[in-house]
Amino acid sequence: MQKFEISYYDGETSVSHNAFLSLQHDSWTIEYIHPLFGNRAVKWEIDRVERDMGFTSIFIFRYGDFPKQTLECKDERLLNSLKQFYPDKPFFDKKIDFLLRQSTTLILGLTASLIGLIICSYVYILPWFAEKAAGQIPVSMEIKLGEMMYENTIARYTKNDSLTACVNDFVKIIDFKTDYPIEVTVVAEDEMNAFAMPGGHIVIYNKLLAKMKSKEELAALLAHEVSHIHYRHSLKNIFRILSGYLAISLMLNDVNGIAVVLADHSNMLVNLHYSRNLEQEADEKAIEIIKANHLNLNGFVDLLALLQTGNTDLQPFKLLSTHPLTKERIAFVKEMAKGQTAMKKNDSLEQKWQAIVAFEKR
Amino acid sequence: MESDQNYSRKITFYGEGNKLFGIYIVNVLLTIFTLGLYYPWAKAAVLRYVYQETEFEGSRFSFHGTGKEMFKGFIKAIGIFIGLYAILIGAILTKINAIAAIGVLFFYIALLLLIPVAIHGSLKYRMSRTSWRGIHFGYRGILKDFMEEFVVGGLLTIATLGIYSFWFTIKLRKYIFSNIRFGNISFSYKGDGTEYFMLNLKGYFLSFLTLGIYSFWFVSDLFAYFIDNMRMNQEGYVIKFRSTASAGGYFGLIVGNLLIVIFTLGLGTPWATVRTLNFVFSNIIIEGTIDVNAIQQTEMDYKDATGEDISDMIDIGLI
Repeated sequence: MQKFEISYYDGETSVSHNAFLSLQHDSWTIEYIHPLFGNRAVKWEIDRVERDMGFTSIFIFRYGDFPKQTLECKDERLLNSLKQFYPDKPFFDKKIDFLLRQSTTLILGLTASLIGLIICSYVYILPWFAEKAAGQIPVSMEIKLGEMMYENTIARYTKNDSLTACVNDFVKIIDFKTDYPIEVTVVAEDEMNAFAMPGGHIVIYNKLLAKMKSKEELAALLAHEVSHIHYRHSLKNIFRILSGYLAISLMLNDVNGIAVVLADHSNMLVNLHYSRNLEQEADEKAIEIIKANHLNLNGFVDLLALLQTGNTDLQPFKLLSTHPLTKERIAFVKEMAKGQTAMKKNDSLEQKWQAIVAFEKR
Repeated sequence: MESDQNYSRKITFYGEGNKLFGIYIVNVLLTIFTLGLYYPWAKAAVLRYVYQETEFEGSRFSFHGTGKEMFKGFIKAIGIFIGLYAILIGAILTKINAIAAIGVLFFYIALLLLIPVAIHGSLKYRMSRTSWRGIHFGYRGILKDFMEEFVVGGLLTIATLGIYSFWFTIKLRKYIFSNIRFGNISFSYKGDGTEYFMLNLKGYFLSFLTLGIYSFWFVSDLFAYFIDNMRMNQEGYVIKFRSTASAGGYFGLIVGNLLIVIFTLGLGTPWATVRTLNFVFSNIIIEGTIDVNAIQQTEMDYKDATGEDISDMIDIGLI
């Protein structure tokens, strides 16, 4: 019969006995020489033997009640003998061994799937979840949040009060088909840009306003920005960005990072990148608004063209990146403008536009 | 007694980063797919591996804790936290200022009282689940005594704006070590609050003056203060511990680990862990008369892992 060299501990003292293990059908026998008592044999009933699950190449088995007896065996052949002797004992199972032995293929596969999972959740699941979460925010809270962000952002600009008042008068004439309270702020800035904040605030740089040639252009700009607000685009984007940071911060165990992002979030609104889909959605809604107000859609085309020329300014790529694919958008709006009917003169809107123009000349 | 009892010994760690990595990967995936419920089993697997790869005098350590035991503790710990938060939120929702204030106060006091409970429970569980050559460790501290130490020390620390914390730390270490048993071997800690305070004062000051460069000497000093003051006592024979960690060694460890973790985007954490354990164990020397064959089993069985899990939730790092 095969005997295996083992170390045996009786559970009473720390003496390490060099012993031999032999396997029988329903029990194990451990034989060793005790320094005081001479030859000794210990019997372990097979049903009460426990295996220590481990990831090392040492096999450890325990037996009995506390304090347990222990045996350690470094002989690799033991496992094979155990499998032959006791094929139905679960702790000699091949499957468990496969996991414990950690085959390289298994680990590589698992690693790849973990990385895949992380990327997948970062790129798809997380943003989707963030957008859903953004959708759940009540309007009142969104308005409050937007108000807070507005206060933060506007502090960095020089507000033009008179122009702001004029443009807000202009806003009141148009029906934007939204429940959000729209509030425009014109700021002095030598750059052509405009952006929307969650809850109803729109900021327009005065340079963009100055370059506009018709009320339709301004109406189109407002309609487009209002649509971003209406569909909660900026809120959704903020949630997406925050969720990304949140995930990374959690992975790196850095909660401060989230606080920094929250504190700095208002800044990113200025340079917010909307996806092509969101831009398309806002354009479609803007067209709807313009049509419903019986305004000429060509103003929208002019606005887009104007924004495109703005690209040749100091920061050539900025507007291009904030409003991507301007060419395609122009083509789309042009197409829509072709079929447009039922345009009406709108004298009161013209009046407000003239007020803005007059003010700019001063 | 054997003749070769009186020389310096070391604990050796044989763990490998790639093996630990395999365990981590399985753990992370299962924890994600079970929405966190696998956590106790994950922790048990890591502890088992780390203990099994730690060798002293030719024999490995064992961690006997099971995921199932820790899962029970995990559920209890979650229950306690849900209860606490429910009281806090309930109190705030009444919108009566006085009740809300009491709720908040209650919450923080309960949280503070939970810390000693967690440390105590965790030590009791972890020690009883650790063995070497079949001999179990044990923690004999009494919760009531430990709570008293903790509350008094905690209040003094708050009253002195944190200055007392150094004396407090040493007191806790003394209490904890004096209650650890390894069979019939007992432990003690010889540190002194004033000395520890001066060490920290010097460390803060010089680290500040040298723009952080001194901090590597500082951490190695703190490590040495912890290790060098540990004692084991086997039937009247005192066994000492000595740290050989140097500032340069710490520099290599910390900078190396940072680089590993950052450049692998966290995937290299197991290798960093192995490096740390290697560093710690290879820098501890155990000196004195010890008969490694004459340690008697003395401790009782203990299975409640609640403390272990509470301390995980409030992020107390033990051992």
